[in-house]
Amino acid sequence: MKTTTVIAFNNMKYYKSKNILTGIAIVLTTFLLFVIPAAGNGILEAQFVTINKIYPTWHALFRNVDKATATEMAAHHDIAEYGLRSDAGIMGLEDASVSMISLDEKGAELYRMELLEGNLPRQENEIVVSKGILMALGQQGTIGDTIKVPYQIFRDGQLDYTQEREFRISGFLEDSEASLAQQTFVAVVSESFIESEMPKGRITYRFLFQVKDEGSSTTDDIEYAIHEIARQFGISENEININQDYLYANYVDPAYVPAIAGVMLVTVMAGILTIYSIYYMSMNQRIQEFGRLKAIGATKRQMRQIVLREGFCVAVAAIPAGLLLGTLTSKIVLMKFVDLAAVEDGYSDILREVIRTGEVPLYHWWIYLLAIAVTLGTVYLSLIKLMNMAAGVSEVEAMRFHDAGIKRSQCKGYESLTIGRLAGRNLTGNKKKSAITIISMALTGVLLMVVATVISCANPKDSADNSIVGQYEISPVIENNNREHPERKWTNIQQDNPMNEGLKKQVEELAGVIRVDSFTTVYVTGEPFEEGVHNAINGIPEEYAKEIEDGIVEGKITYEELKAGDKIIVDQTLLHWYPDLEIGQRLNLTVYDGTRTYEKEFVIAAIGDYRHGLINYHYLITAKEAADRLCENNSTEYFHVIADKDYDPELDGAIRELVEGSGRLELNSWKAEYDKWKTSLAVLGGASYAFLGILGAISVMNLVNTMINSVHLRKKELGMMQAIGMSDRQLMKMLQIEGLFYTLGTLAATIGLGSLAGYPLFLYAKKAGMFEISNYHYPWAAAVTVSAVLLLIQAGLTLGIAKSVKKDPLIERIRFNE
Amino acid sequence: MGKETNTILELEDLVKYYGRGENLVKAVDHTSLKIERGKFTAIVGRSGSGKSTLLHLIGGLDRPDKGRVLIEGKDIFSLKSDSLAQFRRKKIGFIFQDYNLIPSLNVWENIVLPLGLDNRKVNRQEVEQIVEKIGLTDKKSAMPNALSGGQKQRTAIARALVTKPAIILADEPTGNLDSQTELEVISLLKSCVQDFGQTLMMITHDETIAQMADRVIIVEDGRAIT
Repeated sequence: MKTTTVIAFNNMKYYKSKNILTGIAIVLTTFLLFVIPAAGNGILEAQFVTINKIYPTWHALFRNVDKATATEMAAHHDIAEYGLRSDAGIMGLEDASVSMISLDEKGAELYRMELLEGNLPRQENEIVVSKGILMALGQQGTIGDTIKVPYQIFRDGQLDYTQEREFRISGFLEDSEASLAQQTFVAVVSESFIESEMPKGRITYRFLFQVKDEGSSTTDDIEYAIHEIARQFGISENEININQDYLYANYVDPAYVPAIAGVMLVTVMAGILTIYSIYYMSMNQRIQEFGRLKAIGATKRQMRQIVLREGFCVAVAAIPAGLLLGTLTSKIVLMKFVDLAAVEDGYSDILREVIRTGEVPLYHWWIYLLAIAVTLGTVYLSLIKLMNMAAGVSEVEAMRFHDAGIKRSQCKGYESLTIGRLAGRNLTGNKKKSAITIISMALTGVLLMVVATVISCANPKDSADNSIVGQYEISPVIENNNREHPERKWTNIQQDNPMNEGLKKQVEELAGVIRVDSFTTVYVTGEPFEEGVHNAINGIPEEYAKEIEDGIVEGKITYEELKAGDKIIVDQTLLHWYPDLEIGQRLNLTVYDGTRTYEKEFVIAAIGDYRHGLINYHYLITAKEAADRLCENNSTEYFHVIADKDYDPELDGAIRELVEGSGRLELNSWKAEYDKWKTSLAVLGGASYAFLGILGAISVMNLVNTMINSVHLRKKELGMMQAIGMSDRQLMKMLQIEGLFYTLGTLAATIGLGSLAGYPLFLYAKKAGMFEISNYHYPWAAAVTVSAVLLLIQAGLTLGIAKSVKKDPLIERIRFNE
Repeated sequence: MGKETNTILELEDLVKYYGRGENLVKAVDHTSLKIERGKFTAIVGRSGSGKSTLLHLIGGLDRPDKGRVLIEGKDIFSLKSDSLAQFRRKKIGFIFQDYNLIPSLNVWENIVLPLGLDNRKVNRQEVEQIVEKIGLTDKKSAMPNALSGGQKQRTAIARALVTKPAIILADEPTGNLDSQTELEVISLLKSCVQDFGQTLMMITHDETIAQMADRVIIVEDGRAIT
């Protein structure tokens, strides 16, 4: 073995405690560097496999394509496979929703539609159904049997009156759990059936296709090709539907690699900081030793090698442990996250199954190799400065060097001493070491606080508050294009609106209801809005006047002024679609009020930013009084119920009964929104905190090292103090104060800087619309937890160190020479 | 009665062995002694004879395997760790060969440290007096790394004197000093002890110093021969 390796190996054994700490830091770093790509890749692959099991395989579909265009597009050189689908209509059933579509064979293949038995329909009277559909129809049958089907044809953009005819079952589809649970099914009819129901020229198709894959296509490449094809055939953007989930599952998302790399980089930084500062602490102690080696002829290169090899010796021992830990836990970690996101649907079940059965291999050789290479790189980067320090040691200086850590020759000092002052003098005497420890620990802390701020702001309660005003939202069932249910058309609802005073009173009388706020909706069309698209003016009650005024981001108008009725506020969401809208612009709109329509001019007075729950996803805003005046009919679309509790099962039941009893109303609740957000944010929070927790553990190695080091180097000094009368209790108190200094210093930096840095990130997240973040919530939980954990670790550490100091007899400590 | 009250320190059959079997070292071997108050006792003997161990046992820095150490009639090893520390800071002052100053404290702070540990108020006048006596008035703010060996040892002496302990234990206090400084330091130490009426026990290899003592104890193979 080379001499440098022998020396490095012996150094590793000699500085055992330091190298154990470095080892733990490397184990944790390796663990993270393995788990992050393994879990990241694993969850994606598992999703891909799951998606590939469920999702259709077409890359995109173009809606409303006529037969001639479809034939032309089929010949396009970028299209690999294509199929045709046409939507006939729906079955007219009360309790189930059954779409009736026709598919050609390629279309069925691209939809991953496999028949349990039988064939796709060819004859006009043939149909493919499922057991679920037969149950919903209340009929029975096997292949060749005839069933009676009530149906509504989708004609001229709306559902026509219900008709009934007999079909012969040509095949059976399997029902998925999700479709049975939601009672949503698809039945396949033949193209001849559609041709019999609609004049030939008016049949439109959905053109499903896969783009030719050049081998290394990214999702961006494929999406580009799709848009190119659309452009060439004059297909508008609105008619394009890209199968994003399937594309992401099968092609590399260009954002994925940088995201994983970013998280790994943060880990590497934490590793470098910790390993560097652990070695740095012992470096001064070893200057003499390096000087001696130099004096007897070690070259600069050899000095560097000694430092590097010591680090690598530790890494060689620690990396396998980190990999083993990662290998043992990644599957558990993944399962935990999938469980956290536990939504009881077919997708999650398959996802869980895919991971559990190992169908997706988590352990790829390249992940091991990546973790090893990046960890070794981390260790190398941590040691560069120290290698140069060792190489630059001057023989004579090093031999003379006695590290007391004190460079000053004079100091004013205190007239009398207390334990606190004694501790203070030691800390201020080693400013650089104290600063390095605090900074390297605080960096992780700051990161933790910044992420915690976002997670804390992304709180399900807020998100629910943003999605819904009050605890319940009652609205009529609106279907504008269903001939079978003309009563569901908005203009018809206006004339006989179930959202009347009677209902309002009934709800108000329920126990637990504080008040019911009614919101008016007035549908309008006209320039500059796209033809045929209804926009709505939302009449917001006076209770929300302040929120309306506070939400204005540009322009100025009071709620009182809105009451006049000729001015409106535009929510800035609308600017996404119509970026040219501006303050002062006049809009000549057609107002829909029951059977009559009329023109009216509105002026945009201001642009606002409001929660979706308040404006009910209607982006033109005015005072309720003004909106009410626009219609002679009852234009109330929403009752927002303000209750005394966010969730009260009794009130929930009572409102539900009322809503379901009417048969014309729909209900959404705060609790439902809250549960939805809670699930998705739990996964995000869990993953982030787990990662930051381990990162924190790496940094804690630093604190452990600093504390051990400060006591180890001062073993003799502490013994001396005890010899001249320092009691064990006083020793403990002094060490505690010193430890507290590091902890409080770290906490001050963590909480102070973390809070400061968290706020701009909150503002960014709010602006970017991340997780419906709207209100700033200081991450108290994280701040308290970080403080408590650090204080506990420090207290435990002091206790342990003081105990280990006391283990040696006093006389041994006084005799101790470093 | 007079003789009894004059005894400040009494060792009763003190034993301290290290190692086992062939490696057994009898550092202190059934030693009994009585030391009178206010006297200067020199402890001499060859290297490894057990002088330092004896001094450490007297100071309560090490525990004996057997026997008792009585200071002013109190068996110091009957005290618990913290009580022993308190007893030590009130009754005993230590001076070591390698000074053992606290590097992060200046001269003044090193001197007043035992008072601080004892939660006693610093009587500035008294401490100034000691500092003046040891000749470090202009070095009060100096850090130990800026002092010469002699200055360091003077600081250590002042530190041992500041609590006015009954006994001062000095382990070769001049071992690291040149002969000129050595004499200065010993004279200083002796005069301080006389001024404050303290008992001094000092380990030394130096014949001249031993001759300055009121009593000389020779230690051989762990046994004290007076």
